Amino acid sequence: MRPYLSFTILFFGIFFCQAQNKQLLYNVNGLPQSLLNNPGANVNFDGHIGVPLFSKFHISTGSSGVNLFDIFDDSNQDVNQKVSAAIRRLTRNDYFTLHQQLEILSFGWRLDNGQYLSAGVYQEMDMFAYFPKDPALLVNEGNNAYLNVPFDFSDVSFTGEIMTVYHLGINKKINRKLTVGARGKLYSGIFNVASTNNSGKFITRDDPDTPNFYRHFAENINIRVNTSGYASLNNTGMTVQESTADLLKRSFFGGNIGAGIDLGATYNLADNFRITGSILDIGIMFQQHDVENYLYYGDYETDGIEPLFPDVAPNDNTIPYWDLFEDEVDRNLKDETLNEDYTTWRPVKFNAAIEFGFEEMFEVCDYRKTYKRRNYNLIGMHLFGVKRPRSMNYALTTYYDRKFSNNLRAKVSYTIDDFSYYNVGLLVSTKIKKFNFYIAADNLAGYFNLAKSQSASLQIGMQFIFKKQ
Amino acid sequence: MSFVKLLQTPILLLLFSVVMLSCVKDIDLDQTEEIALTPDLQVSLLVFDVTSADFEEKDTGEFAAVIRDTVRLEFLDDSYIQDDLSTVEFSFRYTNFFPQQFRNKISFLSENNRVQHSLQFDIAQGDKNNPVVTDWVEFIENERIDVIKNSIKMVVEIEVLPNQNIFEGELKFESKGLFSFEF
Repeated sequence: MRPYLSFTILFFGIFFCQAQNKQLLYNVNGLPQSLLNNPGANVNFDGHIGVPLFSKFHISTGSSGVNLFDIFDDSNQDVNQKVSAAIRRLTRNDYFTLHQQLEILSFGWRLDNGQYLSAGVYQEMDMFAYFPKDPALLVNEGNNAYLNVPFDFSDVSFTGEIMTVYHLGINKKINRKLTVGARGKLYSGIFNVASTNNSGKFITRDDPDTPNFYRHFAENINIRVNTSGYASLNNTGMTVQESTADLLKRSFFGGNIGAGIDLGATYNLADNFRITGSILDIGIMFQQHDVENYLYYGDYETDGIEPLFPDVAPNDNTIPYWDLFEDEVDRNLKDETLNEDYTTWRPVKFNAAIEFGFEEMFEVCDYRKTYKRRNYNLIGMHLFGVKRPRSMNYALTTYYDRKFSNNLRAKVSYTIDDFSYYNVGLLVSTKIKKFNFYIAADNLAGYFNLAKSQSASLQIGMQFIFKKQ
Repeated sequence: MSFVKLLQTPILLLLFSVVMLSCVKDIDLDQTEEIALTPDLQVSLLVFDVTSADFEEKDTGEFAAVIRDTVRLEFLDDSYIQDDLSTVEFSFRYTNFFPQQFRNKISFLSENNRVQHSLQFDIAQGDKNNPVVTDWVEFIENERIDVIKNSIKMVVEIEVLPNQNIFEGELKFESKGLFSFEF
């Protein structure tokens, strides 16, 4: 038990993380990755090609209510007391997230008509789990201190997916003010797990009108865990090589598939004042291969086992009270494993930002070209939201983006989200001729001691960016 | 321009340093070894209600002073009991409407019917209009918990202690166990 528990806590504590907000890359129009956050971004380059596997690596983690220090603080040795305190303090709406993206291929080019096409392949993992407050209390403390208090199994809600995304986007400048874009996506599912909309309560009542000290109720239990891409790995004795080959096959549409779209736009209210917005991953996955659904449902109540005196049935056999009890429980609380197809929606995200520029840049005069006025300094506010099983989760960012030269750009952001009110992030993007390297990290203060941090995010990448002279 | 070049390297180095030199401190991850879940579970056990009719031989109708029944508690053999049970507190309650006293014996037996643990107490005389409640709490502490882990059956035996009153009434039995675990 303990090794599993330790692993789980470490997993949640270190890896489970926030997630999908990429505020540092949003509206950074000199980077191709801004097109993934807003296909209607006002990009100012004419071509790009990412270094395969290195053009973007992103990992972000978040825990809205607890960090490692809360549990493993070395000045307080009673770890179980700290675990219990954390379980009591957390609410059913606290959550843990992990998001990771690895760009495998990325490239884009400007067409003669001025439109910018971008395409690529990336692998994505997204895990999200609400804290299962009541089941955690039941497991940690039992029902003794919670008589007549229901343990609500609707607290169990989690999703997880690993997939490869193939995408092609187009960015079109409609006029001086408006740029729009769209990106079509094909999803190739590797793994999916989803357990949402669960219901049911377990209650122990000490009602004086019942015949025993307590009556136990399992009411309206309906728990369902859908999985795809799990059963074959779990049930068969595949070797590591076979499993790897299977996972690769799924990455190339050998498993479950889906499709989605990103939409975005930039509108210039003035030369130095613009609003941008995007909706990402309006997408659906059809889980049809290697599907297994685990169901537990029903209603039951019991006062205990009732012996009849004497202890022999009419045929002189001992009455198998326990077997009868188990049969009754099994008749009323059913446990099934099915293979039913299901669909899942991608966690849709939106971005909206307003940006103001000052200190205009001066470019070399060339009468053959039209110039868009650009500014050395940009300040803005950015609202991000992501749809989760119970609600939207939001993050509000304000930022200062400074272009020091054609080769160096930095962006400082301050974000308020469910994890922190003092999340300061920094992006640095630099170019050596056509070669671009960028690194962005959120919640910088947290890096000084990750144990006390409830979120961390890192994005790093390198690519070649081309600009016509 | 030279200022920018001057700035470029320090900013990148700073960001790299923050990310690469990030650390985890002031915590002791060895404490994971000490993490234990310690739920206290209240579980209803047996419940019954006997009348004078239950003290008659089924075949002959003759009065039987002693009645008993055996219930297998299969969960006592489950791994979570065998590996992680630390203490048990049994609570028994009789509510007696009979104008007689009873002697009660509750035994926990192994698969081979060896008595692992037993307890005996008298049930106070009651009255059909004024039932009397007899409570008994039996605590099995950690040092003796194997007697429960080795058990699989629970036997309840009730013996009437006759007197001059008419044997008529009702005897209600309630029981529960407070199982404390350390996973």
